Amino acid sequence: MGDRMIITIGEGTCGIAAGSKEAADLLSKRFPEAELRSVGCVGMCHQEPMVWITNTDDVTTLYGQVNKKNLPKIVRHIKGEGDAPPNFISTSQQPDTDKGRYLTGQTRIALRNVGTINPTSLEQALARGTYGAIKKILTSGMTPEAVIEEVKISQLRGRGGGGFPTATKWGFARSAPGEVKYLICNGDEGDPGAFMDRSLLEGDPHAVLEGMLIAAYGIGASRGYAYIRAEYPLAVQYFGKAIQDARAAGLLGKNILGTSFAFDIKIKEGAGAFVCGEETALMASIEGHRGMPRIRPPFPAISGLFGKPTIINNVETLANLPWILNHGGAAYAAIGTEKSKGTKVFALAGAVARGGLVEVPMGSTIRHVIEEIGGGSAKGRPLKGVQLGGPSGGCVPEAMFDTLIDYDAINATGAIMGSGGMVVMDSKTCMVDISRYFLEFTQLESCGKCTFCRIGTLRMKEILTRICEGKGTMADIETLEELGPQIKNASLCGLGQTAPNPVLTTLKYFRDEYIAHVVDKKCPGGVCKALIQHTIVQDKCTGCSICARYCPVNCISGELKKPETWVIDSKVCINCGMCAEVCNPEAVFVA
Amino acid sequence: MSHSSLEAVVDPQLVKKWISEIGSDSSAAVPLLQAIQSHYRYLPRKAMDVVVQNTAITASQLFGVATFYAQFRLRPVGRQLIKVCHGTACHVSGADRLNTALRQILDITDAAEDTAANGSYTLENVACIGCCSLAPVMVIGSATFPNLKGADAQRSLKKHAKDSGEMLPKQIQDDDEATVSGGKEA
Ligand SMILES: Cc1cc2nc3c(=O)[nH]c(=O)nc-3n(C[C@H](O)[C@H](O)[C@H](O)COP(=O)(O)O)c2cc1C
Ligand code: FES
Repeated sequence: MGDRMIITIGEGTCGIAAGSKEAADLLSKRFPEAELRSVGCVGMCHQEPMVWITNTDDVTTLYGQVNKKNLPKIVRHIKGEGDAPPNFISTSQQPDTDKGRYLTGQTRIALRNVGTINPTSLEQALARGTYGAIKKILTSGMTPEAVIEEVKISQLRGRGGGGFPTATKWGFARSAPGEVKYLICNGDEGDPGAFMDRSLLEGDPHAVLEGMLIAAYGIGASRGYAYIRAEYPLAVQYFGKAIQDARAAGLLGKNILGTSFAFDIKIKEGAGAFVCGEETALMASIEGHRGMPRIRPPFPAISGLFGKPTIINNVETLANLPWILNHGGAAYAAIGTEKSKGTKVFALAGAVARGGLVEVPMGSTIRHVIEEIGGGSAKGRPLKGVQLGGPSGGCVPEAMFDTLIDYDAINATGAIMGSGGMVVMDSKTCMVDISRYFLEFTQLESCGKCTFCRIGTLRMKEILTRICEGKGTMADIETLEELGPQIKNASLCGLGQTAPNPVLTTLKYFRDEYIAHVVDKKCPGGVCKALIQHTIVQDKCTGCSICARYCPVNCISGELKKPETWVIDSKVCINCGMCAEVCNPEAVFVA
Repeated sequence: MSHSSLEAVVDPQLVKKWISEIGSDSSAAVPLLQAIQSHYRYLPRKAMDVVVQNTAITASQLFGVATFYAQFRLRPVGRQLIKVCHGTACHVSGADRLNTALRQILDITDAAEDTAANGSYTLENVACIGCCSLAPVMVIGSATFPNLKGADAQRSLKKHAKDSGEMLPKQIQDDDEATVSGGKEA
C-alpha cells in the first residue's frame, strides 16, 4: 500500500502536444500532496492527455483527454464522489472496459515498457528488467554464435520494412573478416504517417539500447550509430540521455558489466531525406555525403560503413531482442503464423475512431486492428480502405480487411507490411488524390540516381495531377499501368522499386474512382478541387456570416440572419473548404 | 522578395569553434551544417565558406549535401518558423487547408514565397512529425498544435504572435463559436 496518491502523466510528443503539461499543473494544484510521475507515450494517442491516478490502496484509474473544463468531474470521481465522468477509461481492477480494450486487446512485446516507465530514468528501466538479457549473456559466457542461434530460433524478421531474417543477416557480418564492425540502429522512420520508432526511442530508450548491445555482441561490433530522424527532437534528447546514463552505469563503453565486451554509440541526426532510411544511403549520409543508395553487393554486412562489415537494424527489431533472449527464441516463435513470427507494432491513424500505437500478434486480421482496437470509423462514415507501408505500400480495400497480418498475406494484396504505418481512409478520402500525394512524395524524395525513378515518378505524378484536375484520359490510366512495372524493375533501391505501389493498388481496387475522375469529371470523395463545388444549403444556414469571414477569396455574401440570401460565387471560389470547416450547422454542401 | 534584413552576420570564430568540436573530416559535413543552421537558422554563405577553408570538406561536397537534405535552408527565414505537417495522416485530414489559412493571415500571395513580407513568419512543409493520431498538426517553435481546422490554425497563430510580440500583416476577425486548439510547449 502506498502512503500517498500518485499522479502519472503521459508525456510523449503527442501527450505534450495535446496538453499534458497543463493537465499535470491542474491536477497537482488540486492534489498538492500527491507524487507526480511522468511516463512515455502509452500509445493511446486519441486519448491524450492521459492521467493515471493511483490511490493509497494501489488501485489505478485512467482518465483521457483531461483539460480545464472536465477537470472538476474527474476530481470528484477521484475523491470517490459522483459517477464516472465521460473521460473515465478504466481501472487496474477492471482494465477491459469499452475504452480500455484499446490496450487490453494488444500483445505487447516491443512496447512492453512504453507508457509505464519514465524514459529518462535508468533506475525504472532496470526495475522492469531492462539490461537483464545482456547481463545474462555476458555473465553466463553465452557465445555470440549462441546468441545468433537464439534469434534464429525466434525467426525474427526485420521490422524496418524489408522483413529480412535478422539472424541470417547477422551471420554474414559475424563471419565477415575485419577487426572493426559497426552496428547501426535505423531510427529514420521515413514513412510519413508512422511513429512506432519514435514512441520506442522516446518511451523506452533503454530497451532499444539493450537490443543494440545484444546485436553488437552477436555480430562482434564495437562501434554503433543511432541514426534518428531530425523531426524527432524528444527522441534524440531521451536516447542521448539513455546513452549517457548507461555509460555511467558501466553498461556501455569499455569493459561492459566488468567483461571484455566493449561497445559505444554515437547519435547521428538525420537531415530530412526519406531515402536515407535505405541502408546504403544511410551509411553514405553518416559518412558525410549526399544520401544516395549504391549497388549491392557488396552487402553492408560484408562492406558497409567506412568499408567495414556493418549491420543495420530497425528500432523495433532491436526492441524485440531483449525479450527474445529473456524468454527464449521458441517462445517468440510460438506467436504468429508459419512465416511471420512474434508481434508487429502499427501506428494507427486517419479516419479511425481511436488512433495510436497498436501491437498485435502476427496472424491477427487487419479488421481486428481497425475495428476491435481502433473502434472503426471516426465519423461514422463507411471505411474505404487502409494504406499500409506508406509511400512504398498500397491500399487494402475494406472488403479485404480480413487479410491476416503476415508478410506473405499482405504482399499478396499488392501492399506491403512496411514498417507499420496504417492510415485508415473513409468515404471522404479520394484514392486518386492519395496516389498523387504519394507520387509527389516519392518524386521529391527520389535521389535522382536512376532514370526510371527520377523521371518515371515525375511522369506518374504529372499524370495523376492531370487526372485530379479533371484533364485525364483513359490512355493516361494505361500509361500509369505501363510505367509502374517499368519503374519497379529498373530502379536500384527500394524507393523506386516500390514507388508505384500506391498507384497500382488503387488502380486495382478503386479503378471506378479513376474512371469517375476521367470520364464523369467527378471526385467521389469530394476532395479534388477542380472537380467539386461548394454551395450553401439555405435550409440549414443560419445566416451567421462566419463562412464569409474565413473565406480567403471573399466569394461568400449575404445578409446577417437571412439564410435565404447567402450564396457562394462559384466563379471566384477556390474550393479550399474553409467555409465548410467553420460552419456549425453544416450548411456548406460539397459535390 | 528578398528579406535582406533577415540575413545573418557571420562570426568566423564561432564556425571555427564548431569545427574544432565536431571535426574536420568528410563525415563532419552534415553535423557542421546542422550546427550552423541551428545557430543562424539557415546556412549563410559566409559560414559555409569558413567550413570549406578550414576542413577537408570541399565546396562541392558541402553544397551538394546542403542542397540534398530537406532540412537545410540556403535562404534566411522569418523570425518565427511554422512547420505544417503534410504526412499522410495530416494530408487526409486537411493539411492543405492549414496552408491556405495561414497564407491568408500572413498575406503571402505569391506561391513561390514562404515568408511574410514583414519577416515575421516563414511557412515550411514537413513530412510527419510523429503525432499522426492528432492530425492535422503544425509546430511553431517548440509548441505543437494538434487537431487543427483552418480557422484554429489562424487563431493559434494570432495568439502566438500576440504572446511573442510579432506583428501579423493581416488580422482576421475573431469569432467565439469555433473552438481554438491551444499549442503546448514541449
Ligand atoms: C526508401 C527506403 C526507406 C527506408 N526507410 C527505412 C526507415 O525509415 N526505417 C527502417 O528501419 N528501415 C527503412 N528502410 C529499410 C532499410 O533499408 C533496412 O532494410 C532496415 O533498416 C533493416 O533493418 P531490419 O532488418 O531490422 O528491418 C528503408 C528502405 C528504403 C528502400
Ligand atoms: S502525418 Fe502529420 S504528424 Fe504524422
